Amino acid sequence: MFIKNLTKKYDGKAVVDSVSFEIPKGKVLSLIGPNGAGKSTVMGIISRLIARDTGLVEFDGNDITKWKSRELSKRLAILTQSNNIQMKLTVRELVAFGRFPYSGGRLTEEDEEIIGQAIAYMELEEFQDRFIDELSGGQRQRACIAMVIAQDTEYVLLDEPTNNLDIYHATNMMKIVRRLCDELGKTVVLVLHEINYAAFYSDYICAFVDGKVAKFGPVKEVMTRENLSQIYKVDFQIQEIQGKPLSIYY
Amino acid sequence: MNPTASEKGIRRENSAAARGESIRRENFAAARGESIRREDPAAGCGESIRRENFAAGCGESIRREDPAAARGKRICRAKLSAAHRKNIRKLIVLAALAALAAAAYMLVDVRFGNPKLAAYAMRIRTPKLIAMVITAFAIGGASIVFQSIINNTIVTPCLLGMNSLYTLIHTAIVFFAGSGSLLAANPNLAFAADLALMGAVATLVYSYLFQKTKHNVLYVLLIGTVLSSFFSSIQTTLTRVMDPNEYDSLLATLVASFSNINSEIILFSVVVLAAVIFVLRKDLALLNVITLGREQAINLGVDYDRTIRRLLLGVTLCIAVATAMVGPISFLGLIIANLSRQLLRTFRHSQLIAGSALFGMAVLVGGQLIVEHVFTYAVPVSVFITVGGGLYFLYLLLTNRRV
Repeated sequence: MFIKNLTKKYDGKAVVDSVSFEIPKGKVLSLIGPNGAGKSTVMGIISRLIARDTGLVEFDGNDITKWKSRELSKRLAILTQSNNIQMKLTVRELVAFGRFPYSGGRLTEEDEEIIGQAIAYMELEEFQDRFIDELSGGQRQRACIAMVIAQDTEYVLLDEPTNNLDIYHATNMMKIVRRLCDELGKTVVLVLHEINYAAFYSDYICAFVDGKVAKFGPVKEVMTRENLSQIYKVDFQIQEIQGKPLSIYY
Repeated sequence: MNPTASEKGIRRENSAAARGESIRRENFAAARGESIRREDPAAGCGESIRRENFAAGCGESIRREDPAAARGKRICRAKLSAAHRKNIRKLIVLAALAALAAAAYMLVDVRFGNPKLAAYAMRIRTPKLIAMVITAFAIGGASIVFQSIINNTIVTPCLLGMNSLYTLIHTAIVFFAGSGSLLAANPNLAFAADLALMGAVATLVYSYLFQKTKHNVLYVLLIGTVLSSFFSSIQTTLTRVMDPNEYDSLLATLVASFSNINSEIILFSVVVLAAVIFVLRKDLALLNVITLGREQAINLGVDYDRTIRRLLLGVTLCIAVATAMVGPISFLGLIIANLSRQLLRTFRHSQLIAGSALFGMAVLVGGQLIVEHVFTYAVPVSVFITVGGGLYFLYLLLTNRRV
């Protein structure tokens, strides 16, 4: 998946300014940067939720707008923060929606099996008949991930998956992200605020500043003192823990 | 973890998976095997990616004793279909209730001893009953669909301003063309004019604004409210300068009640409703997904904006049918849609719409029965609906039940 010269303007101000990078297949890529740097907008454009002004998002040889939405939804899944579901929906029913692109609401035997596996994979068996609005934030997040797993796509895009989660749930979330990549072979792209999560759990980091790509590369290349100080305009120290560069900022 | 190593690991696991064990849930090892993707049909289970593979990568391996889990899963599935069956049973009871109300409405106080009187009663009551059934269906269905589009269960399609548009259209016709004109005198023509105008306004205003406001449904609601007062102020102005005699004849069509049902347009309405359902059948099938919100719907491959536009138009036409048939009744949709949601507690719109329509029939026909035979027309049924609806609405707000 390539992103070329992506630009998006709101009221004349470019929030995304000629952004180009390539999403490495089978890896975890984190988009980081200060507030308003345009990382979420880039994510929205990649996932066809936001219309771009100019540029190209090439997915498997074709521009993303040329894809049939239904076909694309079998290859690429997005999970955003806005999951305020008003419906009376059980966990299993939510996960079953992941099969919608394949069977359009009429579940086959095979769908049921995949749904069961996705639920088991996220260890939601005991909750599967509970209503979504009766779950805690962490459980709900896991249910959403299970839906994405049931959707069975090569690419998974997560917009700030650790938002509103405490340390325990956020860390679990990041471990899940890692497993999606390592165990299920998915390409995961996520927008993150916590740079240490990005450093510890991803393979590549793309840092945004003012709508432009400031740094892109393997974690160790991006996670240097100079880079981070430049990006965030805060003093940083980098320490290596378990072979991963972690940052300390104050 | 090295990715190439993990890929190799997956492939290694494949040969084991190819034995096809991982499908059988009884199989202990296979159940733990978690085959997530199944692409190779020949192998029967294809590429199975085992948990053992990466357990090292994520540290904590969260394995469970699977026979118990598998059993639990089977029980849960049985329970799930039980919930489904229970809902269908509820719907059947509801249908029986509605049928009972209909039968009572048709048969109470009919003097069967006198065939002429009995035939007369039938001739009077049949079209009323049919009209009430159509109204219940149109309002019930439209309310559920509208609430799901807006993703809010305490709104009604009346907020789109369709009721005031209806009164405005009729007032304007009488005002400009006169009450004796063809448009005002012929109910089918008047109905056609209603549908055309309301449909056109809805398409233009709502579709356009929907796009303009970046698909923010709250704006559509707000604009609906503003338009609603806009239409009614024009209508009020027109009635003030209108000839009093004309106004008198106009009032009869505006304050249509269930005792004064516009039964001439039954056939036309049925055709319109059938056409709406037929044209929107694919969009209606997407309703369950639509309720997940814009992002999720798009993620699952739904053309969200187009679907919403079409459904909104459908809602408008249904409301137009109901309004033309019995006049503006605002609370009915809110009551029956929420009763249906509360009773069925599901996201399946086929069930919700059926429940809502059946509740509508029971409430309307039962209410009319009481009005005709207990209160002998002293109180119109809309009073009951408004009072009952108001109380129910307060109850919904106060108990803050997320129906």
